Amino acid sequence: MTELRAKKGGKSGRPFLIRHRLVSYYWERLQKNRLSLVGLGFIGFLALTGIFGPLLVQDPHQTDFNILNLPPLGFSIQESIYDIKTNEITTTVIQGRPDHPLGTDSKGRDMLAMLVSGARISLLVGLLATGIAIFIGAFLGVLSAYLGGWVDNALMRFTDIMMTFPFFLLLVLIVFIFGPSLAIIVLVIGLTGWTGAARLIRSEALSLRTRDFITASRALGASDTRVIFNHLIPNVSSLIIVMASLSIPGVIMAEAALSFIGLGDPMSTSWGTILNTGQHSLDSAWWVAVEPGIMLFLTVLSFNFFGDGLRDAFDPKASV
Amino acid sequence: MRSYIIKRLFYSVIIAWGILTITFVLLRVGPTSPVDRYILNIAAKGQDVDSVRQAIEARYGLDKPIIEQYLLYMGNLLQGKWGWSFSASQPVMELIGSHWIYSFQLILLATIFAIIIGVGLGILSAVKQNTKIDYAASIFSFIGISIPGFWLGLMLILVFAVYLGVFKTYYDTSYPIWSLENLRQLIMPVLALGTGELAGYVRYTRSAMLDNLRKEFVTTARAKGLSERTVIGKHVLRNAVLPLVTIIMFDLGSIVFGGAYLTEIVFGIPGLGQVSFNAIFANDYAVVVAVTLIGTFLVLFINLVTDLIYTYLDPRIRYD
Repeated sequence: MTELRAKKGGKSGRPFLIRHRLVSYYWERLQKNRLSLVGLGFIGFLALTGIFGPLLVQDPHQTDFNILNLPPLGFSIQESIYDIKTNEITTTVIQGRPDHPLGTDSKGRDMLAMLVSGARISLLVGLLATGIAIFIGAFLGVLSAYLGGWVDNALMRFTDIMMTFPFFLLLVLIVFIFGPSLAIIVLVIGLTGWTGAARLIRSEALSLRTRDFITASRALGASDTRVIFNHLIPNVSSLIIVMASLSIPGVIMAEAALSFIGLGDPMSTSWGTILNTGQHSLDSAWWVAVEPGIMLFLTVLSFNFFGDGLRDAFDPKASV
Repeated sequence: MRSYIIKRLFYSVIIAWGILTITFVLLRVGPTSPVDRYILNIAAKGQDVDSVRQAIEARYGLDKPIIEQYLLYMGNLLQGKWGWSFSASQPVMELIGSHWIYSFQLILLATIFAIIIGVGLGILSAVKQNTKIDYAASIFSFIGISIPGFWLGLMLILVFAVYLGVFKTYYDTSYPIWSLENLRQLIMPVLALGTGELAGYVRYTRSAMLDNLRKEFVTTARAKGLSERTVIGKHVLRNAVLPLVTIIMFDLGSIVFGGAYLTEIVFGIPGLGQVSFNAIFANDYAVVVAVTLIGTFLVLFINLVTDLIYTYLDPRIRYD
């Protein structure tokens, strides 16, 4: 990968994203993978929804007890009401209404508004927590590989300990101890999810460390920080980007799962929270459980497609 | 060989110590102490809060210096004194002893299911590389990885229990564990948990098979005139399956335990996930901590066993 980088990018040591020719080269390779473009498109759509959507829809917390469990537009359900005085069952057909195109839940909240709010939360948590995790992972990985010796040993043993914890069980424990809020969830996922990245980046940096250009720059009198920030980190940056895009789906799923079991932020509506509501009304309002799940599934699928394409684009051995 | 085993054992002890220390620190730096949570429950019953607090602090040694508390905590856990569950009114160990079997059966069946289908599909798609079967398997594995297991569980309940009525919507504990009815009601939970697992195995098996198919010993085997069945079954598969053991074991901690936790909640299976879930809402500290610790120590144990088995399976490690 480095040879390729040197050929295409010219000066080594400049941050990856500033090297336009390199970026456009990888972009060309990425474009050959149709699925990853579809994934990127959906992520873009989701980002726009998350940023501007809440301005266009009603308040997701607004309840309306006149329109409980309204089906989505184009669907209808039969509702039977038993009248205890006349001992009669009256059955009415409830149609979806255009002012609530995706229906309402058991408290009369608009599904579309809640899904839009969920998109914002999922992306926010996904990007922020992954950012923290990858930053820690890259920092510890590079540090560990570069310094070696007892620092490397201590850091890697610590990584081993953190890796032994089953990820979700640790999340449950920490969120339980510190109380559920969006900030805690982001921090906890970020502070526990860095182990895989640290190991991978360490092994990549280890093989880079013995390369001639590092030795050369050391011989020229470059300081440790200069070598790390100007040579090691730029050369593992593609790996960092791939790691990040491939770990976002796991983070989004973890947040949804936490919210689903009731450890989500009680002040915000995420897809997991809606699924939690929907779980209890499967027989009366199927759409409450179906819609957020589809969004969650498509989001995770898109990130997986995109991450996969990115990995192939960055891998000089892969034919795209 | 012996020195390797001793080194590995020593190493596991260090990790176990790290796990306990990290949980201890988490519990101590949390905004509310276990006593506060306990007090909340006591106060709700209208008892004198201060005297109760003192009694509890004395009982659990929380009035002692932090170092002593730390030693006490370690000592108790090592002796199997895992605390008292006030929501279930029994020792935590007893509570876990009566519920672990439900988690165990779910995880065991889901993993067997995932291995059989996942490895089978992986082999098939490697042997039929770039055919329609291969593409179908790869799309299926993408979907399987991206679909949230707990949502898949909800959808299975919606379709097969609510609409078709093939299964019950809840897990019936009145059936004995070793009965066909019990096996039958585990079909949906196993599908929900196993799909995500098997999707990963399809990809690993496929790429491991393809890697080995290109090796020279395969060409040799074919040149000797061995049947394709022998070449694939004996020469390729045996070499491909070995790394898979590590991946399956690693998945247990990273995906399966968390997945089982959620699957139990969705289907109402009274395993350890459900126990921990109920404890969260009862503020039952000891139980939540115990379930996370048990999951973690299981991972540690499984990792150790895998490593030791590996030395027997792969002679290259033994003689290293």
